[in-house]
Amino acid sequence: MGSTFMGLETSKRGLTTQQSALFTTGHNISNANTIGYSRQRVNMEATLGYPGTGLNAPKIAGHLGTGVQAQSVQRIRDQFIDRQYRQESTKLGYWETRANAISQVEDIVTEPSEYGLNTALDQFWNSLQDLSGSPENAATRKVVVQRALHVADSFNYIHKQLSDIQANLGNEINVSTKAINSILKQIATLNEQIQAVEPNGYMPNDLYDARDKLVDELSQYFPIEIDPVPPGGNALAIAEGSLTVSIKLKDGTTLELVNGKNHASLETVDTSGAILDGTKLSNGFNGINITGLGVGKSISYDQLDPSKGKLVSLIDSYGHGGTVGVFTDPSKGYYPNILAQLDKMAEAFAEAFNEIHKSGSDLDGKAGLNFFVDEISGADTSVSASNITVNKDIIDNVSKIAASNAAPITPPAEPEVGNGKNAILLANMKTLTLGSTTDINKDGIAFKNHLDGATVQSFYQSIIGQLGVDGEQANTLTTNAGTILLTVENNRASVSSVSLDEEMTNMITFQQAYNANARMITVIDETLDKIINGMGRVGL
Amino acid sequence: MRVTQSMLSSNMLRNLSTSYSKMGKLQNQITSGSKISRPSDDPVIAVKGIGYRTNLNKVEQYQRNMNEVNNWLDTSDDTLDHVGIALIRTQELVTQAANDSNTPEDREKMKAEIDQLKLQIRDLANTKVGEKYLFSGTNTLSPVFSADGTTFMGQPFTKGAASTITPTSGFTNSVEIEVYDGVNLNVNTDAFGMFAQIDDLLTNVQNKLSNPVSSGTEIGALLGDISKAQNTVLENRADIGARQNRVEMMINRLATQEVVVTKQLSDNEDIDYEKAITEMVTQESIHQASLSVGAKIIQATLVDFIR
Repeated sequence: MGSTFMGLETSKRGLTTQQSALFTTGHNISNANTIGYSRQRVNMEATLGYPGTGLNAPKIAGHLGTGVQAQSVQRIRDQFIDRQYRQESTKLGYWETRANAISQVEDIVTEPSEYGLNTALDQFWNSLQDLSGSPENAATRKVVVQRALHVADSFNYIHKQLSDIQANLGNEINVSTKAINSILKQIATLNEQIQAVEPNGYMPNDLYDARDKLVDELSQYFPIEIDPVPPGGNALAIAEGSLTVSIKLKDGTTLELVNGKNHASLETVDTSGAILDGTKLSNGFNGINITGLGVGKSISYDQLDPSKGKLVSLIDSYGHGGTVGVFTDPSKGYYPNILAQLDKMAEAFAEAFNEIHKSGSDLDGKAGLNFFVDEISGADTSVSASNITVNKDIIDNVSKIAASNAAPITPPAEPEVGNGKNAILLANMKTLTLGSTTDINKDGIAFKNHLDGATVQSFYQSIIGQLGVDGEQANTLTTNAGTILLTVENNRASVSSVSLDEEMTNMITFQQAYNANARMITVIDETLDKIINGMGRVGL
Repeated sequence: MRVTQSMLSSNMLRNLSTSYSKMGKLQNQITSGSKISRPSDDPVIAVKGIGYRTNLNKVEQYQRNMNEVNNWLDTSDDTLDHVGIALIRTQELVTQAANDSNTPEDREKMKAEIDQLKLQIRDLANTKVGEKYLFSGTNTLSPVFSADGTTFMGQPFTKGAASTITPTSGFTNSVEIEVYDGVNLNVNTDAFGMFAQIDDLLTNVQNKLSNPVSSGTEIGALLGDISKAQNTVLENRADIGARQNRVEMMINRLATQEVVVTKQLSDNEDIDYEKAITEMVTQESIHQASLSVGAKIIQATLVDFIR
């Protein structure tokens, strides 16, 4: 026969268990708006029935229920949705960063507009046309020089701004690497805390949430793979254990970045071996060096999974490979490529223009000089978008513009001041196809630099066109990845986020259960009162 | 599917921000009048836009060049008109002089007028447009006849033998202005032959008139030369007239071209205002609706009913 007070004990358990469920409900409501929080529930289970088996077990009907206990507190979360979320977040990280990098180029070239490089070229052409009409007029010549300077400045400006952004991207690579290192360290720290708690039979749900949030953050930088390591000791079967985090490489292999409380530290270095921080644009990305966990290993660009993660996107924009002193291969990076194309355009433009200019003669009948030169060396052989400028001699003396196509003369012969035929040729240089090194234009001038059969203007248009197409692609894929991520996020919220209605219902349920337990105790109290105070008082 | 408050509110926020960005884009289109603001909005429109802008700019520049061309041709024509008038006066005087009844004093007076006509024609030969001499070929800063009358087209010459000199090369060169892609129009008139002929003729007339022994018949023989000179002037004017006609056609063509290119540019990237504004209004009402729905996003929960 069981104890007289057994019912009290059963209801007491009920009280504490319902109370803990009620407190958990309170915890959920409090965290209804906490980012990364998963709702929790108390797993209740009936306690062992009475009597237990054994030689001295009373021969009564059994098992008699002994009440309830809170077996564990568990968070509600779907690991598969997490996995999906991280895959999409990696894609979004790549395309979002790329779209951003391209939109910054678009901001700088400001095409189509009334004030971009194309307009500068058009205005320069106008001034040359005007010059061909009034070659003897100093004011017309001044306008030509100013418009030419405007073209040169436009080249310089675009080049400078793009280089600045490229430097910023380099800096962002460095900052991102630091952020990644911080995340790795935090995950390792959480692993350590979790490892300390789990063997005691507790579920550190809030630590799990914090750790998952960090893994989410990490997944936007590069593709990752996570692998739970089961805890030891007296841990619950549902305990999640410590998390091994690895980076997924292109060939499908992985490289551990966090294992238990140990973590790796990453370092992005350029081709000169220095830390890549955008201060030295001549060197592209070379690799990620690892210290700490996996010390001595390194990841080269070719090993990185392409089109996945913010880090690869930044490297793609910034440029990779290349040797010290020599600019990275233009095909290896978005910004180096655009800069190289601009350089090519400036170089071919300057050369073609100079050749025609030199074939003419100026206001004094002397042969034309180089019109566009390198700002630093003053030479015409090293012209690029960054240094193109108008020959200082011509700026100082506009009569040196060779507008005439007359053969050079020696004084005192009279120069043909009203001859503007070379100015027409100069103006039409813009529509000259710069095909290949062997191509010769109709005036017999061969060009060393060429634009693969394009004119200066159409070459520029193709740069803008390419930019637009790349930007459009990046924007579309960003939107796509964003939409998918949103769906996944909704799925995750559907499983894990706190519903106030649900919590309210639970609150009522648990409160009523608590009340009922309390009522039960009253009932048992009354029965005890009956036995103690009401029994054996016959006749009293 | 389990739906929670946070899902509703995050969806709500996302839809609101999508709606805002659509409105922002439409507002941008309406205020700028352009369909796109950056190449990635539509690469094709962007690249075409650059091309059309260049075309339009080109047409406008050629139209400006046309003004210059007209300047040259009109002034040349006008000047030659005056040369013609001077020659008619010369013809009158010579006809009058081709008469033996004239006294030496009469001839003296006629010669004085011929002297002035010669100077006038030299002045006409030195006509300037702005700072440019019209008939000096590409040596536009040098006069055809120097002020002291000793050089003609950059070369010293003896009176009456202007046509025997070889002018400095620039004076006979053509001045060209581009009026369309690859179409260069010669705007000046090579006046060496004409002015040499007229100047020699007038020197001849002067000589005959100042020579007392010249007979009326001898002087009358010059009339043939005068009409030859008139013909030369007319030929040159006919040439200028033909070029003026060509310019006229070219101007019309450029005007048409301007309209066409402007239309292309506009069709390519200008927004259709009716459409954009309609879309804007639609978008505004959608936004209003989503805002009013948003106001209800904080639904009454069970909390409101549990007392």
